[in-house]
Amino acid sequence: MDSEAVKKAIIKQVQLESNMNNAKQLIEKINENCFQRCVPKPGSTLSSSESTCATSCMEKYMAAWNLVNASYVKRIQQEVHNNGFAT
Amino acid sequence: MDSVPNISPNELERLTDQDKAELRQFIGNETQRAKIQTQTHSMTEICWTKCIPASSKGNKLDSSEQSCLANCVDRFLDLNLATLKHLSSLRN
Repeated sequence: MDSEAVKKAIIKQVQLESNMNNAKQLIEKINENCFQRCVPKPGSTLSSSESTCATSCMEKYMAAWNLVNASYVKRIQQEVHNNGFAT
Repeated sequence: MDSVPNISPNELERLTDQDKAELRQFIGNETQRAKIQTQTHSMTEICWTKCIPASSKGNKLDSSEQSCLANCVDRFLDLNLATLKHLSSLRN
């Protein structure tokens, strides 16, 4: 491999690991929060209403994540613009 | 999953100075992105608890939930800044 190929391989590897890490954190949070919400009293099986609740909880949690991320990035940009200072 | 070729120490030595500098820049940006994502995970959890009630129906966030989340992020960061400001005033 030449320098260019080595560089590209490193970039690819870092991006892959970073995306995996982010997905892992998200799945963990979804599990915790949606289990808390949708399975108040664990029974002998996961009922169909519990699994319906979990599906909609998951979709909403991901939408909330995207919205929080967008608001956060916007705020950072404002802070940088106003004070040259990031939180 | 995509397979990525293994990079040996020997191959790292082939990097030109310019590519090394580009990689440093890239790693710096990725580190920043990862920090923001981690902070997003923590704020999403906090604001989820505050803004999305257990009675919330459907697969989508409604508009009041959306504005609650946006306000939650901004006020959380306000408090964060206020805390830092107060702490630094105590030090003086």
